[in-house]
Amino acid sequence: MPLSRPTLFPLCQLSVGTTGRICVINGDDSFAQRLREMGFGEAALVTKISGSTTSLCQVNGTRIALNHGAAMSILVEALPSSAR
Amino acid sequence: MNLPPHITLPAKKRFAEPERAPVYAMVGNPNCGKTTLFNALTGLRQKVGNYPGVTVEKKIGETYSQHGRPMKIIDLPGAYSLASRSPDEAVLRDVLLGRREDTPQPDRIICVIDSSNLERNLYLVHQILDLGRPVIVVLNMMDMATNVGLRIDHKKLEEQLGVVVIPCEAVRGKGLVELKLAMSRANLPLAKHRWDVPAPIAPAVAELSASLCDIDERPPLIARAEALLLLTDLDSVRVAGSKPISDRTVEVLATWRKRWEGNGTDWSATLIRSRYEAINEICAKVLHRTREQGLSFSDRVDAVLVHSVWGWLFFGLIMAALFFSIFTLAEYPMNWIDAHMATLGNWVKSAMAAGDLRDLLTDGVIGGVGGIVIFLPQILILFFFVGLLESTGYMARAAFIMDRPMSKVGLHGKSFIPLLGSYACAIPGIMATRTIENAKDRLVTILVAPLMSCSARLPVYLLMIATLVPGDTMPTTTKVGIMLLMYLIGTVGVFAFAWLFKRTLFKSAPPLMIMELPPYQPPHLKEILRQMIERGWLFLKNAGTIILGISIVLWFLTTYPKHPDPAAIPDAQIAHSFAGQAGHIIEPVIKPLGFDWRIGIGLITSFAAREVFVSSMGVIFGVESADEDTTPIRDALRAAKWPGGAVLFTPLVCFTLMVYYVFAMQCMSTIAVVKRETNSWRWPLFQVAYMTGTAWLVCFIIYQTGRALGY
Repeated sequence: MPLSRPTLFPLCQLSVGTTGRICVINGDDSFAQRLREMGFGEAALVTKISGSTTSLCQVNGTRIALNHGAAMSILVEALPSSAR
Repeated sequence: MNLPPHITLPAKKRFAEPERAPVYAMVGNPNCGKTTLFNALTGLRQKVGNYPGVTVEKKIGETYSQHGRPMKIIDLPGAYSLASRSPDEAVLRDVLLGRREDTPQPDRIICVIDSSNLERNLYLVHQILDLGRPVIVVLNMMDMATNVGLRIDHKKLEEQLGVVVIPCEAVRGKGLVELKLAMSRANLPLAKHRWDVPAPIAPAVAELSASLCDIDERPPLIARAEALLLLTDLDSVRVAGSKPISDRTVEVLATWRKRWEGNGTDWSATLIRSRYEAINEICAKVLHRTREQGLSFSDRVDAVLVHSVWGWLFFGLIMAALFFSIFTLAEYPMNWIDAHMATLGNWVKSAMAAGDLRDLLTDGVIGGVGGIVIFLPQILILFFFVGLLESTGYMARAAFIMDRPMSKVGLHGKSFIPLLGSYACAIPGIMATRTIENAKDRLVTILVAPLMSCSARLPVYLLMIATLVPGDTMPTTTKVGIMLLMYLIGTVGVFAFAWLFKRTLFKSAPPLMIMELPPYQPPHLKEILRQMIERGWLFLKNAGTIILGISIVLWFLTTYPKHPDPAAIPDAQIAHSFAGQAGHIIEPVIKPLGFDWRIGIGLITSFAAREVFVSSMGVIFGVESADEDTTPIRDALRAAKWPGGAVLFTPLVCFTLMVYYVFAMQCMSTIAVVKRETNSWRWPLFQVAYMTGTAWLVCFIIYQTGRALGY
């Protein structure tokens, strides 16, 4: 059901303090592989701590910094604050 | 003989020879406290070296079992995965797979885990269990896990993995006894590892591991693990010193890759997902959350310290504090050393009969080496600051803040860590580039890092600033201002050349950066002190060997051959000497920069190391000064004249000389490290050419413009 799919947007547009779920990882294969290996794969929950160009996110209790290019290639869906 | 993957050969075959000390490898994610644990286990019984061909630090330590038998521990670089993306991770992989000829394949493996992030840390453990070696899992930082509301049932984890699991707090020394007891056991259980290779890739793994087993002579389990890596290692990092794989295996690999490319399926993602599924299953059984995991202390601090306004403000404050303390705090010990050196020189002069030997001691040894030792306090302060930034975890934040400006020149924030470290010394800076994944970005960072003003330039800058303005009338702020200007020119040079190189020689897509920011922690003062002592000692050792040697040789070269007229003035004597003749040969090249042949001698000798310039000036102008007292070098320099009687060290010349040292590549050790890192002479030679060329050109412009403006 394509209509019920939530809207996806790049991680850099996630606003500070909110949480999203990673849905799609674009970018080159080895980058995607490393992201997934670091637990930053599809279905992981990310909380944005700071930044709009260079992003700082919390995943699974660790802080991961991503530059603009990296944050652009990760698509997330916003989660309502109650879903955390 | 093909065994099913979960059965290994009996352990005693590998581990029964009592005469050989068992070799443990210590592995773990970055920031898991591995190094603290390594230090706690081995104390000072460590040997730090390098893996030949790569500048990855090789640390081997020794400890004793419960029965007093020695055990060797290799501390391997931190990594998230065996599928390596940078040279350090490649070393980890190659050592564990037994691919390195310079390092024995470890008998047993200690996996260190950051307990507050169990899932991700188990990923590497999961790959390592594939190797079929006896493994001890250390749940480090248990206190931090408790603090964030996690409870780990280590007994259950032991059941799940089938290997020994030891909870530990390395910082407080908790769990070390238990770990040593486990390490002393003759028979460690092997993992009952029931993870199956996902069905779609199983045939490829089987064929490839058969080839690795038969042709490359790998043991069956290592072959399987290596096959898994080869299949998913997309742009595998190869480092020097690693055994190549046979042609047959490469062929098999290429065939499978081609087949998969046709299918369009992402096997690497499948494999990772399958591992994480297995890990999540384990975690569901052993990990209990006592409360909701919110933002941690570090997260809250980071919201401020990497903020787009406050972050920059704080960063600026730190840098300002660094440079100011180099001047104000260091002044007291420097005055003390200065006074003692002068007393020593005068004492030698009064105690010995006049002659060549006395001159050698006062002008060559005390004048040369003493001129250098005085800068020790400032160098220690610089290393203290860099150590503090690294130890507290702020260094990674600085990289984060600098990511945006760095992206303008085509690099990412990670490149800033080596650059900031290069303020202290380009050598550790260049070694820190090994965490940069992209080879082109790494090379660009290596090429520009020596432009950052390192601590060896400090003596030159300080001497020139002292010569620039007579007396002590100059306020500290002006001195700091000139100094900061030099650092600024160097930093601007770094950005300009990085931009240029990324657009010409090393064109590549803008890099994607992922970097973990470690939690903030109180600084390990002991560790910082150890590094300061190590660096300070290295500096003094240089002063005692290379600089002493150059000073003595230079003294000889300025004293002989003797002027035919024994009553000749010192100026005529030095001009007649070997060094004087050499200086005169290069004078035409440097005269457009305002430098005479005596400065030329300093430029040549300081090719060994920049600080040699100061000792060389001490020897050359010290020889010249006819008075009996040892005068500070700056006064001797101020008195120096051109043959026509014009002052040699005008403020313009002092300034030009400082700028020359900002750009020129004047450091043998850096050349050696770059050669080792890039594995060719091409890049270090290129570096010498572009840096020294730029130095000449910039100085030419500054001096000639200055002259035209009447300075």
